[in-house]
Formats: sequence, C-alpha cells, structure tokens
Amino acid sequence: MNEQRRQILQMLVEGKITADEAERLINALERDQPESPPGATSRPKPRPKYLRVLVTSEDDFDGPGRINVRVPLQLLRAGVRLTSLIPPQALTQANAELRRSGVPIDLTQLKPQHIEELIEHLDDITIDVDQPDAKVQVFCE
Amino acid sequence: MIPQLVTVGYRRRDGRRLRLYVPVLPILLVLSPLLLIAVLGGLVACLATRVSPLGALRGTGHLLWALPGTRIEVEQGRTAVLVSVR
Repeated sequence: MNEQRRQILQMLVEGKITADEAERLINALERDQPESPPGATSRPKPRPKYLRVLVTSEDDFDGPGRINVRVPLQLLRAGVRLTSLIPPQALTQANAELRRSGVPIDLTQLKPQHIEELIEHLDDITIDVDQPDAKVQVFCE
Repeated sequence: MIPQLVTVGYRRRDGRRLRLYVPVLPILLVLSPLLLIAVLGGLVACLATRVSPLGALRGTGHLLWALPGTRIEVEQGRTAVLVSVR
C-alpha cells in the first residue's frame, strides 16, 4: 500500500472524509499513477455504470434532508437517443420558445453523433458544490 | 433485461413505514389488455405527430431495458421515499 492511499484511509478512519469521498480520491490516485512498466499486464479501467447525485442539507424546520439518486448511464443514453425522434416542427417551435426566453440555442444543429459524444464523456463528470448548510455531489461510479 | 421488481417505500412523519414490492412481469401480464390499448394509442399518436412508430418502440424498449439499477431515495427529517428498480 503506498503512502497516499494510506493517508486517504487514515482520513476516512478519522471521519475527516466520507466513504464516497475516499473512494473517489483513491480512484483519482489510481488514474494519476504512472504507466505500468513494459511487459506488465495492463488492466483496463472499468467503465462507470451509474450516475450518482447526492444532496445533503440541513433544514432547521424539517430536519436534515438527503437525496440519493442512482441512474444507470445506459438509461441516460437511451433517453437521449429518444430525442432523435422529436419531429422537426417541434424542434422549430422549441427553438422559437428558447429564443424568446433569451436562450438562442438552435436544437436542430444538435446531431445524434454530438449527443453520442456527450454521453461518452459523461463518465468523467464530477461536480461538488459545498455550502455551509448543503452539499451536492454529482459523479459517475 | 426488463425490470423485474420495483420497490416503493414510504416512511411517514410518525415513523410508520410502508413498503411495496411490485413484481413487474406478473403485473404486465395482468394488465396486458390495457397495455395493448396503450400500444395502439401510442401508434396513433406516432402517426399523428409523424414520428416513426418503429423508432419510438425501439426507444421505449431501450428505456425499459436500461431501467434496472435505478434507485431514488429522498429523506426529509422523519419522512422518506424510496423507489428502486431491479
């Protein structure tokens, strides 16, 4: 076990970080490891299967709140592919509404291959929002 | 694989818990006549909106197949809701 990994586990034991954070730190550490020496068998990194959204909040009135959502990435892919079925006239109307709302995005320019690329790179997404009374984490696992 | 078991849990403010286990396949079989009507309705809707019925069917199938593994938990104070698809 190397020193950095030991430090992460130590922080977990001391309660300075959560188990999820420890896992992500260890994953990041593994990503940053130098290339294995030639001749050694390289193990491909397993692809994430789920998108996780964790929200914790403190509410003085209702008590603490927690949201834990796990969505298979395959479901996101299937959902995004459904957008290719939207008829062109609906896209034109959506464009007009978006322009009226001050968001000049042309949805007709969004091709299926762009969406595919977007989903392929969704694996690397990590979002952390920390506030004194709330915490939001979005990541793939 | 299509979802096989949907679990819906609910915890009330007074601590009472309700947990429903819904076996999807038997429910689908029981509701198959209604499902047939829904499919026909969907087909008509596709033709009316000029959406490819085959594409819509394939997309819906992909969505169904990808559902297992979905889990949604929401807790606020003493109340909580859980939806899990396996």
